[in-house]
Amino acid sequence: MDMKKDPYFIDFPARIKAIQAEMAKEGIDVYLGSRLRTMSWTTDAFFPWRSFIVIPAEGLPTAFTFVIDAARAADDSWLDEDHVLGFAPMGGQDQISQITYMIEDLIPSGGVVGVEAGMSNYLPEGNLTWYEYNAFTEALPNCKLVNAHHIIDKLSVIKDEGTINRFREASRIVDIGHKAVYDAIKDGGWKGVTETEIAGIAALAMRKAGSVWEWSFTGGNEIACGYRTGLTGGACTPATAKELKAGEPLMVDIHALFKLACGDHSHNYLIAPASDRQVWHAKNFTDIVDLTLKTYRAGISPSALAEEMMAFAEERGFADFMVPGFEHGIGMLGDEWRIGGHEGPFVYWTDPNHVYQEGEVLICAMQYACPDEDIGFRYENPILIKKDGCEWMSKYPLTVDIIE
Amino acid sequence: MTKYLSPEWGAEVEKRLREGLTPEKMNNLTSSMNNHYTNCPGGVSEKYFYVGFSDGKVERVEVGEGTGPKAEFTIKGDYDTFAKISRAELGSQKALMSGKLKLRGNMVKALKLASLCDRINKIVATIPTEFE
Repeated sequence: MDMKKDPYFIDFPARIKAIQAEMAKEGIDVYLGSRLRTMSWTTDAFFPWRSFIVIPAEGLPTAFTFVIDAARAADDSWLDEDHVLGFAPMGGQDQISQITYMIEDLIPSGGVVGVEAGMSNYLPEGNLTWYEYNAFTEALPNCKLVNAHHIIDKLSVIKDEGTINRFREASRIVDIGHKAVYDAIKDGGWKGVTETEIAGIAALAMRKAGSVWEWSFTGGNEIACGYRTGLTGGACTPATAKELKAGEPLMVDIHALFKLACGDHSHNYLIAPASDRQVWHAKNFTDIVDLTLKTYRAGISPSALAEEMMAFAEERGFADFMVPGFEHGIGMLGDEWRIGGHEGPFVYWTDPNHVYQEGEVLICAMQYACPDEDIGFRYENPILIKKDGCEWMSKYPLTVDIIE
Repeated sequence: MTKYLSPEWGAEVEKRLREGLTPEKMNNLTSSMNNHYTNCPGGVSEKYFYVGFSDGKVERVEVGEGTGPKAEFTIKGDYDTFAKISRAELGSQKALMSGKLKLRGNMVKALKLASLCDRINKIVATIPTEFE
């Protein structure tokens, strides 16, 4: 089969050449990547252990990871076993020594090494640590280390067709997970079921449908019921052993992973009997999600969209319950937080003035929380920004279902 | 008794490896290894012992002064450390794990070749050797 006809094909050698072109423009001789998002974006493999990638000025990159996982990573990657090396606590085989040897071979007289340093509120980001920075500085006395992560950040903003199709497929899989949860809890099936069981039901269905695991560093599938749905700002709910109860809300935020692309969709329920007040909250929530999805398009910014949506919520009398953020970033595995670059008013956070462009993928993410009434809802869905609108990738119906 | 790393010792290593290792025993391996000795006694600071295999056959054995030819795997360490390993006073694994020896080369491939390396070392250890 012609690989380029594969709907999920990504031209990784072209990505490397694009990085090398940017390196040349900036006078960088070697790029030393360490972030999880960089590993995914350049290798097409999942690197769960501390890993690095050395990108020379020309030619193939070489990834470095813990030796116990290097052969597997090479097998998953487009790179061969000579370009995915394992490090280990042995003389000359630790990560600092191995990478130093390679950089010395590439630039014997020294030069400029681009590294990835910065800050993130996302734990697995993988920026170079203080220790690593100092160790490389000491080991490479003829090299100057400069921060260069903006190169990959900029190149990865607009998604190619293969990446978009991976997100579409991950979203299709998530919809299957939602259907499995619905089938399990309907008609009294919810009785005695815990949040963790809901997470597992969705996980099994999604894995059967092609998901490799339930990516999210927040603990796989995020499930909340009862008061946990309404925690203030509570847009992160790793599942617990809490049981579903009659008269309470249920939030099902599930994640699939397909070829390093994340499906991420939340669906919400009310376990009967649902009060009029609960139904009012639910209607507010689905209306604002519907409006938000219809508002996303190229040319607007996170802050402009938030202003518009909060004005709607104010007009309808539920602004007090809306968390005033409507999105988070998404890319290949490890790229799960900020939108745009890192040059906003708060560096390394979403730039509120980032102007969306066609071809960007982000997660439309909204949280409605009313802690005083123990009720809340969450919406998440990967969306593709288009010229005059957006494509929401999960097609699961936008409703708050009342489960008898 | 031959002197460690002397031309005679190298010739004896080559002879015994050719006799003792069939291509099948060496898994038809094509690879090379260079032991790079530092802090050598006798006025020469660096020496090397190189062995190359092609399709499992011993292709080339070399000993000499300096850092030696480029090889797929290079192991660098003090003469004393290598000598202790040859005299079975120190395990090669322990020497690597403690950083007394430094391996340069693809670690994943090296793991696959560890047992083959042991076969070579066992044969080399049969040579009556005089250390400085």
